[in-house]
Amino acid sequence: MTSLADADAEEFVAPSRPRPRRGVPLRDTGPLLALIAIVVVFSLLSSDFRAIGNLQNIMDAAAILAVATCGVTFVLMMGSIDLSVPGVMGASAIAVALLVENNRNDNDFGLLGILLAVLLASTLGGLSGLALVTLKVPSFMTTLGVSAVGLGIATLMFSGVQPNISDNLLDSLAVSRFLGLAYSTWIAVVCVLIGWLIQRYSRLGRYARAIGGAEEVLALSGVRVAPYKVAVFTLAGTFYGLAGVLVTSQLSAGLVQAGRGYDFAAITAAVVGGTLLTGGRGGVLHSAVGVLIVTVLTNGLVQVGVSPYWQGGVQGFIVVAAVAAAVFPQRRRNQVTK
Amino acid sequence: MKLITQPIAAVIGLALAATALTACSEDVGGGGGGDAADAADAAACAPEDVTLVGQVRNESNPYEASWLDGGDAFAEQVGLTQDRLTYDGDSTRQQEQISQLLAGNTDCLVMNILPNGDSDTPPIVEGAQEAGAYLVTQWNKPADLTVTDYDQWLSHLTYDGVDSGQQIGDALAESIGGSGGIIALQGILDTGAAKDRFAGLEASLEANPDVELLDQQTANFSRAEALEVTKTLLTKHGDDVKGIWAANDDMALGALEALEQAGRTDVAVVGIDAVPDALTAIEDGTMTATVSSDGPWQGGIGLAIGYCVATGELALDDIADEDRAWFAEQFLITSDNVADFTSPSVEESEFECGNLFSRSQGAIS
Repeated sequence: MTSLADADAEEFVAPSRPRPRRGVPLRDTGPLLALIAIVVVFSLLSSDFRAIGNLQNIMDAAAILAVATCGVTFVLMMGSIDLSVPGVMGASAIAVALLVENNRNDNDFGLLGILLAVLLASTLGGLSGLALVTLKVPSFMTTLGVSAVGLGIATLMFSGVQPNISDNLLDSLAVSRFLGLAYSTWIAVVCVLIGWLIQRYSRLGRYARAIGGAEEVLALSGVRVAPYKVAVFTLAGTFYGLAGVLVTSQLSAGLVQAGRGYDFAAITAAVVGGTLLTGGRGGVLHSAVGVLIVTVLTNGLVQVGVSPYWQGGVQGFIVVAAVAAAVFPQRRRNQVTK
Repeated sequence: MKLITQPIAAVIGLALAATALTACSEDVGGGGGGDAADAADAAACAPEDVTLVGQVRNESNPYEASWLDGGDAFAEQVGLTQDRLTYDGDSTRQQEQISQLLAGNTDCLVMNILPNGDSDTPPIVEGAQEAGAYLVTQWNKPADLTVTDYDQWLSHLTYDGVDSGQQIGDALAESIGGSGGIIALQGILDTGAAKDRFAGLEASLEANPDVELLDQQTANFSRAEALEVTKTLLTKHGDDVKGIWAANDDMALGALEALEQAGRTDVAVVGIDAVPDALTAIEDGTMTATVSSDGPWQGGIGLAIGYCVATGELALDDIADEDRAWFAEQFLITSDNVADFTSPSVEESEFECGNLFSRSQGAIS
């Protein structure tokens, strides 16, 4: 059953072209090999890097980006793009900070507060999807608009005074540990797992990938594509919302800027992991590897003592090299910008 | 085939009509166009005719929000209201907002502006000069742009970043007993503020030879980035870290979170800006020191200078050249004096026309 589903998806990816000879294993393991290579190099260069404490640190640091990237991955698999991350994360961050125990009001909804904030984020995600399918506006524009809407909502709720959280549950997510990793890191692991299950076993996940591969074929075979698109954006919004909650937990404060930079970081991580911007290939596990590559790079460059003035450039160079190496076998399909 | 359906055409028509009407009413209210010569001749505006505008990047930043609040407080003092403008750190939007302002009635327009970056200042200045609006800028100005070359650009004020970086550096050195390792979190590396503040730290390190700078990284003035960078540096240097110098309070607060997550309570942290959370942390004893530029005062003083000149209470010629571009006083806040700063209030007397430059620490050299 599983293999059948997989085969289906592959069919949509390359429906009619004669299959070129290609290194199938390399296609999927390229990013993983890149990750291992980077880890080995940094470990050789720095004893601080290979310390257990630092490895925990890397996992903890990767958590939020991993959750956001889960969402982005589904959108990218469809061949759409999602720039709504900063707005959606900002809105959910401020919302959750104001709903749990905080210094601004008397709310103390605990877990319900977290759920409501994530629900707000899902709604914003759904809004992107609805605008995309009903108004036929490209996802690039709709999600940029929704990001602005989210930031607007966040700024309104922020109203000039930083909400600081004192809620024990939310605070403990970033601080308390289980088997050496913060709770938030375990949440990220669960998110990746759920994302993978959705991608692999649910109709939503398989159709998302198929839409990216060949939307026309899917539509011609009688599938109503629009609802699935809205559902994918809603799912993505849910992940961003959770990421916003985790940022709030880490910083003990609701920030409008909670999601700043996460849009491009998440897209970068997904692409580095082997998810194509044109859709149809890659997936949550690929993206998780991409997240680790990006995080290990950030951490490793500090640990080996590269000057901050050089880091941005070095990081960019390595990311481009890693993408080039990882997607080399798929270069025929990677022509998103010609 | 008709390209525009009737309802849409109607909407567009209405919108055009509305625009035209607005433009007309602005003209009528303005009592004639606002060219510079007119404005200069008819220098004295009636106090109630003055329009006060404060413009900063974000209301989502506590410091900049407090700036606008200070502007409101001043406006209330003179029986007016302030128009609050924000441009989200987007230079293009800032220029658009200003062009819109200057296209309206500018005879008695007073603007207190935080330019997004150095290069954003010249077009704002030229625009104000041409339109005859009264302009005060803060923080960012290209070094070769001279305020005294203009007669509508009343004043530019900023803060000596080297001095603030050094003040918190010294406070940090003192709190760790004069010796030990510290780490530095820099701001956005290509900004003047980040460079000056770090130069201040270096000066402080020279004065405190037993304090060792273990590592310096940038966290781009961001709380979240500071959290990650600090966690990484704490695993790298471990117990050698006795203090953390941060180029702003947001990063200091991120560092405090990282320390809490690492279970460290023996590390002193200093920052700059005096945002409310940092003041609370200083009150609680988790943070050592910060430097305040006094946002509410900044929001008020720019409007006050413009208001005094617009209403003729202060002649431009009476503003000394060294008060046209000047460093304003900043305050080191530690647990000793934090109580004075926790509820920011603006002293009405600070904004009296005879008292506008009392906080000057000298001209920008």
